[in-house]
Amino acid sequence: MAEIAVGIDLGTSNSCVAVARRGKLEVLKNAYGESTIASVVNLAADGSITVGNAAKANVIHDPHNTIYSAKRLIGRYFFSEEVKKAQAICSYQIVEGENHSVRIKVREEAFSLPEVGAMVLRELKSIAEARLGSPVSKAVVTVPAYFNDNQRQATKDAARIAGLEVLRILNEPTAAALAYGFGKGLNQRVAVYDLGGGTFDISILEIGSDVFEVLATSGDTFLGGDDFDDRVIDLLADEFASKHDINLRNDPYALEKLKLAAETAKKGLSVDDESRIRIPDIAQTADGRSLSIERSLGKEEFGALVMDLIQRTFKVCDEALQQAGLIARDVDGVILVGGPTRLGIIREAVTEYFQQEPQANVDPDQVVAVGAAIHASSLTSSGGEAFLLDVTPLSLQIGVAGGLTEKIIERNTPVPIEQTRTFTTFKDHQDSVSIRVYQGESRESAENELLGQFEFIGFEKGRRGEVEIDVTFEIDTDGIVNVTARDRSTGEEASTRITLSSGLSDTELRSIIGKHESTSGAQPSGRAAADVGEDDLHADDDIVPLRRSAAATRAAAEEAIPELETDDFEPGDEPDITGPIFGAGADAPETNVDGIETAVDLDGESDPDEPLEFVSPASSDLDADLPPEVDLDDDMAIEPDLRAARSGSSELGALEADMLDELSEKATPDGADGDTLFEAPGADLSSEDPEGT
Amino acid sequence: MVPTEIVALARIIGELDYYQLLHLRRNAVAGEVKKAYHATSRAFHPDSNRHLDPELREAVATISKRVSEAYSVLRDPRRRQAYDRRLETNQGLRMQLAEAQAEAGRQASEERGGRTPQGRQFYRLAQSDLQRNDYGAAVRNLQTALTFEPGNTLFKEQLARAKQGLR
Repeated sequence: MAEIAVGIDLGTSNSCVAVARRGKLEVLKNAYGESTIASVVNLAADGSITVGNAAKANVIHDPHNTIYSAKRLIGRYFFSEEVKKAQAICSYQIVEGENHSVRIKVREEAFSLPEVGAMVLRELKSIAEARLGSPVSKAVVTVPAYFNDNQRQATKDAARIAGLEVLRILNEPTAAALAYGFGKGLNQRVAVYDLGGGTFDISILEIGSDVFEVLATSGDTFLGGDDFDDRVIDLLADEFASKHDINLRNDPYALEKLKLAAETAKKGLSVDDESRIRIPDIAQTADGRSLSIERSLGKEEFGALVMDLIQRTFKVCDEALQQAGLIARDVDGVILVGGPTRLGIIREAVTEYFQQEPQANVDPDQVVAVGAAIHASSLTSSGGEAFLLDVTPLSLQIGVAGGLTEKIIERNTPVPIEQTRTFTTFKDHQDSVSIRVYQGESRESAENELLGQFEFIGFEKGRRGEVEIDVTFEIDTDGIVNVTARDRSTGEEASTRITLSSGLSDTELRSIIGKHESTSGAQPSGRAAADVGEDDLHADDDIVPLRRSAAATRAAAEEAIPELETDDFEPGDEPDITGPIFGAGADAPETNVDGIETAVDLDGESDPDEPLEFVSPASSDLDADLPPEVDLDDDMAIEPDLRAARSGSSELGALEADMLDELSEKATPDGADGDTLFEAPGADLSSEDPEGT
Repeated sequence: MVPTEIVALARIIGELDYYQLLHLRRNAVAGEVKKAYHATSRAFHPDSNRHLDPELREAVATISKRVSEAYSVLRDPRRRQAYDRRLETNQGLRMQLAEAQAEAGRQASEERGGRTPQGRQFYRLAQSDLQRNDYGAAVRNLQTALTFEPGNTLFKEQLARAKQGLR
């Protein structure tokens, strides 16, 4: 029997594990009969780790050692807004790790976010193993659709630390749609409105009998049920401050009590029109008198507190619909996902927006895990029953001159996808090019998420513009980005595959996994966190995950200095794709910071007086010094001998020829011109075959 | 699909245009494009082929990525138009998405020849400058045209051409 693979919804507030086996779907409950567990971890003084609802109960009396809402921090840089916000409201300590990464410090130990995620995942894994009575090592793990590459990679790392092989990183709304539509033979367009604890996603899907195609997705990773709670906390804290002149926010114990009361009051409003809030003994007056909070919170008052947040979700919905080329009325069904969607105020607003009642028979807390379980099952069985066609939620961009970016892959492009751009050198004998990769929609690089910067070296040096480097950008079915560079002239194995991510490197992961559960003192460093600190550019930053030979490094040192002297660029004109380069190795010369060479996108304008702008490669006229025409469609120019060489065997060669014949016939429009592209391919292939037939 | 066919298709993929890849006629309508995308994806999506050995999975991934690319171009009428033009003029079988986007944008502004009367006026002046090989004047006129329509890709492209002429 095939090994069981589970589906896991690793949520901001709550998590859930489900399985599909023998044609049955089952949400796996823990020993207490709970089908979802709180994504909360408590670390006790004796080193023991508690996860779930029991840990959540600890928040109030042990706030410094209880980690919650960690998903809001996963895959983020320390200087990001979200981290600052979390520092202000979280009772546990958030510190900076290497390369601007985030660490959570509990009992003098700093944990990376993947490690914290792994603690929750391990709990889910053991719940599943207890229920199923067999080991579980494979899972489909869901993430918000709007998660970027860094966040996805970090989630994947968390699973690996927990001893789970990730079959797929699946988008939460896609999973929900799968759970909703699987096996029903539907033919519908659905909108999945997914408001979780910390994130909001909207996905528009087309569900056919056996295919789920995501038409568009959009989201906001800074918006969720937690923000609703915060509004209630603010209300209570402000009222208390004006009444008693005491700021409850300064007291972690009081803050946790407020938080719990706010959450309880909010949840109460899912059922009733009014919630009672009672927090006895929340503070003391200067003369030792005990103070309490007691008030009621009505539906209307709550609505007024959070209406702008709800409206923000509809802005995101507008965007997704527009990207899908639809209007709200085109949607046949609305699926609500996430605890906060139980709120009447949200159901009403959604009903109004989509002009229809949301689907009632969907459990918003479990639907994602169930969808993940369905997918896990179809990935482990040989016949794919229903399959998913997903998209990338964010545009993939590269940095160009003037702090701007240029799109390589637009958002909502189906994945997997691969695109290749050709770059050249900017100066004579330049020996490295530096490329920054971003995700986001802005033209300003600073407004996008930096996935990483990488350096391509070791190509054959030449005059400026003579070197041609193909850089391939790939987004896989997990939504994870890979970048490969290849020297076109030598065409050889100068290629370097790197994963641009602020997650953990393989080595670091292995060392964490190798250690025992509590990775005491482990300070895994970020992978390609680059110089994201803007003004924190040190030559010794351990930035670039590229390995290179000592000889190449020395050559870089030799080249860097003379070129600096002849450098006719104003610092301000430096294209964005420059930056500090190599790691802390003894070979890394200080001069690299300034001596760094620049990659010029051949498709762009290389005149330093001009901001780099996107010019259609098909029509752009290149600088005279540059190669006459760099055609991005390198595949079209296949030499016959090369083509033949690729045909390993004559049998294959003949088969290819047949396919070409067949395809060219098929694609030829009724008696029209298409055939010019395939002049006697069969004859061509066989006659050129060096191995002969 | 049998393994030899997968390997063969992965090898010849550079020689197929998007229509051939998706088994479509050139005049296929939007619904057919979608249907073909679903069918081809089903055959080559990494999910449907997990059980294959690594070499074959790599071949499948190559095909699958190209299928996504083909669909991204063919499902968008403007990108598709730009791609069709490319095929007709034998300029290649592939089109990078950013390229298709820019090409579609260029086409759109070309059709309009400028959105504003001033933009059109200075663009026309620049055109006659270019005919006389007076690149300096063309650059000035195009720069002026661009002040009225900063986003006009046609103007930008012509400006780049004029600047090249100056060198």
